[in-house]
Amino acid sequence: MTYSLANRSAAPKSNDRRAAGLVVGTVLVMTAIGATLAYAQTQVFDPQTHKWVDYDKKKARKYYAAHKEVPEAFRPQMVKFRTAEVPGTIIIDGNKHFLYLVQPGQQAMRYGIGVGREGFGWAGIVRVGRMAEWPTWTPPAEMVARDPNAAKYAAGMPGGPDNPLGARALYLYEGDQDTIYRIHGTPEPWTIGLDVSSGCFRMRNDDVTDLASRVSVGAKVIVLMQGAALYKGV
Amino acid sequence: MSAKNAVRRSILGVGLGLFAGALSGCTSTPPPQPEQMSRTTVETAPADLQLLCASAVAKASGIDSAKLLPVSSSKIDSKTYQVELDAGGKKTSCLVDTDGNVKSVEPT
Repeated sequence: MTYSLANRSAAPKSNDRRAAGLVVGTVLVMTAIGATLAYAQTQVFDPQTHKWVDYDKKKARKYYAAHKEVPEAFRPQMVKFRTAEVPGTIIIDGNKHFLYLVQPGQQAMRYGIGVGREGFGWAGIVRVGRMAEWPTWTPPAEMVARDPNAAKYAAGMPGGPDNPLGARALYLYEGDQDTIYRIHGTPEPWTIGLDVSSGCFRMRNDDVTDLASRVSVGAKVIVLMQGAALYKGV
Repeated sequence: MSAKNAVRRSILGVGLGLFAGALSGCTSTPPPQPEQMSRTTVETAPADLQLLCASAVAKASGIDSAKLLPVSSSKIDSKTYQVELDAGGKKTSCLVDTDGNVKSVEPT
């Protein structure tokens, strides 16, 4: 079961309806041109065989089962980052599955993320409109209609360890408008490093909690996604 | 006698060369640093270099950097990336090296 995009939480009802309309419109536009997107295969370095191996859902799940951890590249780490953006800015490299939080001294904290699957990637310049702890998830109407599991939560799934939004949600806004996209946690940490969502950015719960503690509402978020067909805020 | 010595020296030289070659063949490439243990089959420019291009284009053209977005990038050679940027439909191409020096900015 995949969530996101629609992995919206306790937004006001009017926002929910508007967001649902946007979901449909966005999905239609992106589906129509999704076939033209050029998605590259993610590979991780296997320290045991000293070879680069393709990293897909099956391998990701197997790796997580064996190590109880995502591959090293997708764990948080401080990296060199030459930028004119101010500390506190979030930069998402959707192609490489990294989220950078700009730090002083030409450095950034880098986290691994899961991103939109083929046809659901987007790029743009937005901002953090609000944040929530253990947010409620409300599935959109079309998901309720097609998925009996989602239908159970039509009125909203309370926050908790099984909630698809995980421990925190950072709601991305374009001006004062909710984009319906979020940076959020996940109960499926093995999906970090993969193209799995409907346009949201998912992080391990510990990572999104750490990110939320370092970020302020209003922070600029630059989303880079080569091959994206949808642009926000530019 | 001197001709024999020359031949011996040549043989010794070739032998040493082959031995050194064999040794170098045994050495493996060191593993990447932890932060570089993932990659994509199609290499895009690092995010910081893409944004350095955006800053350079904003400066050169006077376009508001909030409206400038890198939309595509590729590796030109081992030290250079090409980044394509979009500003409300206006396209610009930028060359940046791996040290973060913007080499050129040109409208496309």
